[in-house]
Amino acid sequence: MPVKEFKLPDVGEGVAEGELVTWLVAPGDRVEEDQPVAEVETDKALVEVPSSYDGTVEELFVEEGEMVPVGDVIISFRVGEEGAGDEAAAPDESETAGDDAEPEPAAAADAAGSDATDAEPDTPSGRTFAPPSARRLARELGVDIAAVDGSGPGGRIGEADVRAHAEGGAGGADAADSGSDEAPAPTPIDAGSGGRKSAVKKRGDDGSAEPSATTAAPSAAPEPAGRETTLATPATRKVARELGVDVDDVPTDATRDGEAFVTGDDVRAYAEALESETADSAAESAPEPSPVDVSASGDAAGAGGAAGSAAEPSASGSTDETIPYRGVRRTIGKQMERSVYTAPHVTHHDTAEVDALVEAREELKPRAEERGVKLTYMPFVMKAIVAGLKEYPSLNSELREEDEEIVLKKEYNLGIAVATDAGLMVPVVEDVDEKGLFELAAEVRDLASRARERKLKPAEMKGGTFSITNFGAIGGEYATPIINYPETAILGLGAIEERPVVRERDGTSEVVPAPTLPLSLSIDHRVIDGAVAAEFANTVMEHLEHPLLLLSH
Amino acid sequence: MVVGDIATGTEVLVIGAGPGGYVAAIRAAQEGLDTTLVEKDAYGGACLNRGCIPSKALITGSGLAHEAGNAESMGIHADPAVDMGKMVEWKDGVVDRLTGGVEKLCKANGVNLIEGTASFADEHTARVAHGGEGQGSESIEFEHAIIATGSRPIQIPGFEFSEDHVWSSADALDADSVPDRLGIVGGGYIGMELATTYAKLGAEVTVVEMLDDILDPYEDDVKRIVRTRAEELGVEFHFGEGASEWSEGADGGYLLHTETEGGEESTYGVDKILVAVGRRPVADGLDLDEAGIETDDRGFIETDDRTRTAVEHIHAVGDVAGDPMLAHAASKEGIVAAEVIAGEPAAMDQQAIPAAVFTDPEIGTVGLTEDEAEVEGFDPVVGEMPFNASGRAMTTGHTEGFVRIVADDETGFVLGAQIVGPEASELIAEVALAIEMGATLEDVAATVHTHPTLAEAVMEAAENARGQAIHTLNR
Repeated sequence: MPVKEFKLPDVGEGVAEGELVTWLVAPGDRVEEDQPVAEVETDKALVEVPSSYDGTVEELFVEEGEMVPVGDVIISFRVGEEGAGDEAAAPDESETAGDDAEPEPAAAADAAGSDATDAEPDTPSGRTFAPPSARRLARELGVDIAAVDGSGPGGRIGEADVRAHAEGGAGGADAADSGSDEAPAPTPIDAGSGGRKSAVKKRGDDGSAEPSATTAAPSAAPEPAGRETTLATPATRKVARELGVDVDDVPTDATRDGEAFVTGDDVRAYAEALESETADSAAESAPEPSPVDVSASGDAAGAGGAAGSAAEPSASGSTDETIPYRGVRRTIGKQMERSVYTAPHVTHHDTAEVDALVEAREELKPRAEERGVKLTYMPFVMKAIVAGLKEYPSLNSELREEDEEIVLKKEYNLGIAVATDAGLMVPVVEDVDEKGLFELAAEVRDLASRARERKLKPAEMKGGTFSITNFGAIGGEYATPIINYPETAILGLGAIEERPVVRERDGTSEVVPAPTLPLSLSIDHRVIDGAVAAEFANTVMEHLEHPLLLLSH
Repeated sequence: MVVGDIATGTEVLVIGAGPGGYVAAIRAAQEGLDTTLVEKDAYGGACLNRGCIPSKALITGSGLAHEAGNAESMGIHADPAVDMGKMVEWKDGVVDRLTGGVEKLCKANGVNLIEGTASFADEHTARVAHGGEGQGSESIEFEHAIIATGSRPIQIPGFEFSEDHVWSSADALDADSVPDRLGIVGGGYIGMELATTYAKLGAEVTVVEMLDDILDPYEDDVKRIVRTRAEELGVEFHFGEGASEWSEGADGGYLLHTETEGGEESTYGVDKILVAVGRRPVADGLDLDEAGIETDDRGFIETDDRTRTAVEHIHAVGDVAGDPMLAHAASKEGIVAAEVIAGEPAAMDQQAIPAAVFTDPEIGTVGLTEDEAEVEGFDPVVGEMPFNASGRAMTTGHTEGFVRIVADDETGFVLGAQIVGPEASELIAEVALAIEMGATLEDVAATVHTHPTLAEAVMEAAENARGQAIHTLNR
C-alpha cells in the first residue's frame, strides 16, 4: 500500500506560493485522478488543485489558511489498495471536519490569529520537530503530533501548540493505538491514575492559562506584557532585536518551568500588531470613530472573550479589527510597493472632448447588441491607446535594469484593472491591435466578470505591456495611477460626462457643455520623458476625438 | 527437579536486572505497581559486570599509564609499571559499588528481588528456578511482564570461549596479566576498544576483520582517525580475513589461522585470542512460545514503539528487543515499558539515540549523517570544527579528530553530529539535546559556551555550518 506524497504544483508561471484556502477532501476520502482536492489562492487567482492519484487521502499536511510554497508536500494519498481504516490515518480523521469543506475551528482560529509567516512547511522527510515534553503531552491529549502546527522557529512544536491543537478540534480524537483494552490508550488524562506522578500533568496544573488564549493572543491588541523575565531561545531573541521588540513585552501564555516563554512567531505577531495599530490610526481614511472610553462603554470584557487573559482588558481598549495581510491583498501591496519604489512616477493629465466618440458608440451599440455584445467605451480607448503606442513605442516597454536595456514590446497586450471584492486584479487582453471593437468588448466583459468571481487563471493576468484603469466607472476625474510594474505606463480614465468646455462659435469663444473624458497618464520617468508622454496622450486623444482615425489602424 | 513450587503473584514481572530491567523495575515500583525483578546472575547485567563499566575502567587505567609514559614533550619522564591484577581488582571494586547500588536502589523503591532463572509457563505465569544448589522454584503469576534478558557474546565455530586461550570480551576484562601478543577477531567497537586498551598496556595487538575496515557503521573519515591512531599504538590490522581456527604454537603460544574469501590463508602467533564479533540476544531458555511470543530469525523479540511484544501485556526491552544494542537505549525502553504499563503516555519517540565508542580518540555520534539526512529527504548542511583548531584540545595534547554537525538547510534544525576526538562521548550529549529539543544551528551557535573547553567545538561547528565560524575557515 504505497503512500504517495503530493506537492503543491506550479499553478501558474512564476507563482512561488499560495494560500491553501479550502480543503475539498478529508483523510480517508476516496479520490480519483484529476479530482480537485484543495482550493489554493495564488498571486491573483483562486485555483483548484487536482489530485494526480487514484487512492485514499492519507494525511493533510497543511492547515487551511496557511501559505504554502510551491513544491511543498500538502497531502498524501494511499494508492493501490483500500487504505481507509489504516491505523496511521485514523488519528487525523477528527481533524478535518468531515466532508463539507467547512474550515474546522482550529484552522480558522490559526488563520485569523497568526501572521503571514506562520506554519513553516513540513520537513521533507515528514519528521516532526518537537521536544520530548511536547511529544509526551501530545500522546497524553490524544493528539497526532504530526498534525500540530508549530509556532517555534522553523515550525518547531511546543507544548502550547499541542494544547492549542487539542483545544481546537481533536476533542474526542481516536488514539493512535492499535487497540487493546489493557493497554493504555493515550486519551486525555486518566482519572484513575491515582497517586502516580506525571510531570506533564503537574505542569499543566500549576501551569498557566487556558490553552485557548494562546491562539487568540496574536490577534489581541498589542499590550506590552512588561514582564521582568522571559524565556526565549537565542534565535527568538535575535528576531526580537531585529524587530525592535522587547521580549518582556511580548504577550504569551506559554510557560517553561513557570517562566513565561516566548517564541519567534509570538515576537513577530506582536511586532506586526504594534505596526498595524499605528498604521491604522494614522492612515485610516474612513471616518474614524472618536476614541471611545472603554471603561465607560462597559463592553470591554466582551471583546471575543478569549483575548482577556493576556492583559487587563480595561487597559487595552482597542476594538480594531485585524485583517490578515496575505493572499491577494498582500500580492497587491507588494506589487504596488515595488512599482512605486522602483519607477519614478510622473502623471500627465489632459481631457479629451469626446462628442464624436459618444456618437460613434451610440451608432454601433445596436449592432453590437445584435451580436450579443454590450459595447462600452473601453474598446475604443484600447484601440486609441494602441495607435499611440505604435507611434511612441517607449510606452509599450519594459526596463531591464540588470541587462541595461529597454525592451520595446511588439505585442499590444493591455491589462484592464478590475476592482473585485478580494482586491484589484488586472486581466490582460492580448493582441489588441489585431482585434475588432466587438471582439474586444466581449473579451473585456468576460475577463472582468471572471475576475470578480475570482475564476481567472494566473496566465490570464500575465504578459501585459500597458495597463488601463477605469476609475471613472466609479466616479472621478483625475487620479495618479500606479504603473503595473514592470510595464512603464498606465492610462487612467475618468468618467465621461458633460463638462464645460470652451469652443469657438462665430468667431467668439464660449463655454458650452460637452462630453469629455479626463485622462491620467502615469509614466516611468526612467524610460519615458514628459514630452513623449504628452505627445502620446495627444495621439490617444486625437483618436478618441476623431474615432474615424481608428480605421486607419 | 522441583523441590517446592510456591505460587506468588505480582503486577509486573521484570526478567533480567541489567540497565533495561532494573530501570524498568524501579520505575514500575515508583508508579506504585507491585514489581518483581528476577536476575539469575548479577545485578546490573552485562553493562555493569562485563561491559560498559569494566571496560571503561580498564580504558582509563591503561590510558593513564600510556599517557604518563608518553608525555616527554610536556616534560614528564616516566615509565609506569602496570600491575594488571591490581588494576582488575580496582575495576572490580568499581563494579561492586555500582551493582551493590543497583540492588539497594531496587530495594529502596520497593522492588521484590528474586535470584533465579525465569521462564514462561503461559501468558500470565512464569516459573523461576532459584539460583544456588538445592533451591526450589516458584511460579509467579503476573499481570504484565518485561523481558530484559540482554545479550551475550557471539561464539564462532572452532573458538569456544575459555579463559586460557579464547577470550570473550568478559574474559578480556578480567585478565590477571597482559598477554605479550593478543589476537583480536573482529574490528567492531568492542574489538577496537579492547585493542586500544591492550596496546596501551603493552601487548602486541593484531586485529583480524572480515570486512575491509574497522567500525563498520561509521563514516570513513571517522574510521580513518581511529585506525591511524591505533596503528600508531602498534595495532596491526588484517582486513578481509576471517578467523578459521586456532592451534597451539611451538613457542607455548597459539596460532590464529585466517582465511580470505579467496581461500588465502595466514597464520598469526598470539598468546591469547579475543573473539569480539558481536552479541546475540538471550532469549533461549525463556520458553517464549509458552507465552505466545516469537523471535525473529536473529533471535530478537519484536516490539512496537511502546515496547509491547505481540502479546500486549508482555514487553521486551534492551538488547533482547533488537537494535540499537546500547545500555542507554535499554534504560529508556525500560522506563517506557514501566510507564506504559502504568498507563502513562510514554513511547519510544526520541528523534535520536546517541552512541559512543571509547577508542582513542573517542567517537560520539547521534542522529543522522549527511548522507542519511539526504536519504531522508532533507537538504543537509554540514559544519565542522577540527580539534587541531581548539585551544583546549591542544592543551590536552590530543588534537586528532573533529566535530561535525548536520542540519537541515531550510529550517536549520540540527539533525545529527559525528564527533571523533577527545571526550567525544561527552560532547555528543549537547547535540543529542539539541536534536531532541528541535534546536536550530543558530540556537547552538548563539548559545554561549565556556572557554576554554572542548565543547566550544560544537558551537564552532554550528557556526561553520552557517558560514560564520570564527576559528575555522568557513566552507
